[in-house]
Amino acid sequence: MTRIRPMTLLAGVILVGLFVFSAGRLFQNKAGVVVSPDVEVIRFAHWQLEPGVREAFAAIAADYTALHPKVKVEQMDIPSRTWKQWLRTQLVGGTPPDLIELAAYENPDDMLARYFTPVTAYLEEKNPYNDDEPDLRGRSWRESYAAELIPTPDGMGSYYNSNLLEYYGAPNTLITVRMFYNRNLLKAALGEERVPRTFDEFVTLCEALQSYAKKTGQPITPLAGSVFNITKITDTLFYTVTQRLAIELDYSLNLELSGHELLIQYVRRKWSLHTPAVRASLQTVEAFGRFLPPGWVQLGREDGMLQFLQGRAAMLATGTWDAGGILMQADFPVGAFKMPSFRRDDPRYGPGTLGRTSEAATFAALSFGLTRASKHPERAIDFLRFLTSRKSNTKFARISKWLPVIKGVPMPVEAEPFQPVLDGYIGGVNMRGLGMRGANAFLQYLHLLSGKEASADRFIEAIEPLCDLGAGEELAHIARVTLTTLRQRDSVLAGLYRQNNASGLARTKFDRLAASQLDSEAQRLQGLRTLEDN
Amino acid sequence: MAIDSTAGGGARAVCRRLCFCLAALVATGSLRAASAETDGWQLLSGYLFRDAYDAFTRQPVSADRARALGEAASLLNHPPVTAGKIERTEAQLRQLIAADGTDDTAMYARLLLARIVHLHRPAEIAEVETAYRAVIQANSSHPLAQVAAGKLALVYLYQRPDLSVPQRLAAAAELAPVAGTGFLPETACAYYRALAGAALFYNVLDAQVLAWLHRADAIGTQDVLVAASLRIQLAEAARALGRREEALAAYHRFLESILPTDNRFRTARERMEELEASP
Repeated sequence: MTRIRPMTLLAGVILVGLFVFSAGRLFQNKAGVVVSPDVEVIRFAHWQLEPGVREAFAAIAADYTALHPKVKVEQMDIPSRTWKQWLRTQLVGGTPPDLIELAAYENPDDMLARYFTPVTAYLEEKNPYNDDEPDLRGRSWRESYAAELIPTPDGMGSYYNSNLLEYYGAPNTLITVRMFYNRNLLKAALGEERVPRTFDEFVTLCEALQSYAKKTGQPITPLAGSVFNITKITDTLFYTVTQRLAIELDYSLNLELSGHELLIQYVRRKWSLHTPAVRASLQTVEAFGRFLPPGWVQLGREDGMLQFLQGRAAMLATGTWDAGGILMQADFPVGAFKMPSFRRDDPRYGPGTLGRTSEAATFAALSFGLTRASKHPERAIDFLRFLTSRKSNTKFARISKWLPVIKGVPMPVEAEPFQPVLDGYIGGVNMRGLGMRGANAFLQYLHLLSGKEASADRFIEAIEPLCDLGAGEELAHIARVTLTTLRQRDSVLAGLYRQNNASGLARTKFDRLAASQLDSEAQRLQGLRTLEDN
Repeated sequence: MAIDSTAGGGARAVCRRLCFCLAALVATGSLRAASAETDGWQLLSGYLFRDAYDAFTRQPVSADRARALGEAASLLNHPPVTAGKIERTEAQLRQLIAADGTDDTAMYARLLLARIVHLHRPAEIAEVETAYRAVIQANSSHPLAQVAAGKLALVYLYQRPDLSVPQRLAAAAELAPVAGTGFLPETACAYYRALAGAALFYNVLDAQVLAWLHRADAIGTQDVLVAASLRIQLAEAARALGRREEALAAYHRFLESILPTDNRFRTARERMEELEASP
């Protein structure tokens, strides 16, 4: 008789054990969802695992259940790494939750059209959960939002789809980018807690922090690393140093340099990396790059966060989505400031600047869309109205520390530094907008702008041939992608024509989409004309 | 006789019942076909081309021209899009026009044919122009002729390098009586913006460009972002042309109607103040 080897036996036992454990968990979960038939279950799914968000949603869901005892609200938090696969499986399998978080890059047109219900009509109705608010009582649900859900200029917002011309989501927050700092370290380095008001003061602060680390022998760096975090700083600086150049390059005369114009003007050689304002923008990175920790280019977003939370870095640039996590996990007091801009009389960076950039175009995020498979669509919409009422949004902001999005919601003290700056100027030229090849080359050679040998000129020399190649490629790529959309719209317009024709076509969806198609087509042809002429 | 008559009456009754059942079947079939067609247009407008195609072809092919158009329109983008499908679509559209070239369906078939020639398969620009001209010539007082004229304008503006820039602009502007009509005001507004946009792209800024922008503004648009951009374009164009008072009025109008999500407020206000301070 063959004897079973102990290792094989152990493996078998572990396997059986795991099977029993999994089956048990599965059974538990199954048992968990069995509810009385007269109880409506509303499920909503999102990928915001940052501390505070789930707690805020759970508290609001509990409030809703207290108000409607025959409704059970279940929150499903899905890690962002598996979100794409999870979403597809749920939608195709016909078992999606009632409400799902939306993002333009996750939800293409056909997915929205097939699996989600437009909420345009609902948004034009009043939100009954604002009935106690005298200033909101007479307004529609859409008008209760601070910026009344104006679509984003690039059509990439999470709540409105510019191809389908419909609203699909109701958002919950705003996102801005700020520099978070360790207040203790700042005080220790400067002798007082004073946030920088100009770029020079920012560089001085970095110097002071570095001297403090050297003096005390502590392994502290002024800035937490990772490309993700550092590009948050560089973007702000680039946009500020090149504002006057943006006005010069804006050939459509609408005071807004679009990505399309940026590429066209580059291919036409109206600007280059040697243009004084662009070179100056790269020199800003050179100026603070020497304070970055060694090997920072290899670090990930989580590493940057860890450095900061462990007190090994004094500052961290990130979006306000991380605010709740930072405030809850840091065992030191945390402050935040907007990356400072430049004075117009600054001899080095001033000539091209107008002043700090406006954040008025900060669009609402964390939108939930209603799935077509929802068994209780009216109940789901009712919960969404409750979630985005002034009372609930107040609670959401208070618990999550994220920015509120509804009119008149008081700003939590901790979130005050994250408020969008409305009184600012237009943004300028960001060389990261030169297409995929240019953007990748920027990241690949960013290390040349950091360390003791940091040099904007060496960086330009290395990256320019790639940008020259990349800009044309990007225009061609955009033309190809746009062509697909234009072709699809030809069929879509036929459908709209038949639906809208009976009562006149003026200002109907057919008319609006035909106009939008003409705009996109003109833009595509401008790109192709530029490539042919240059 | 009685027996005969009863037998004849019974046969008539059976006949009547059969006829009734047949009529009911036909009515149900028609209703289902109509419903399938309605579904088809709905699905087509929602980018669901495969489903739309299935809806249009669920019933056997009939003489229903609208449904045939729907089938062709959905086949055009039926995934995976192939040259063969585009060829079939073209053939179906040509058949529709050949069978009756006078109705609305034929008009749409012509427009789709022009679009196929322009964007869906390789073709010479002369063929593209002819195809759009065919739509306009079929009935220039038709909303679809307006759509075709707008597209033809883009061909002149960007796809005729043999013309000088002023010739391109003039050829596109000549289409205004059709492309700028009121059947489709949003499309008309986009047409005038396209004229001005092309001129600015070619670094042409004169009184005509300003007039096109004014025309677009007068027609108006429900797109709040486009409307805001038009207002600031009017200000900046007038400023560049040295029309100080006109520019100031346009800046004021832009600032008074600024959207809460517009980043341009302070920049525009400062430019207006600079202009006000200048002699």
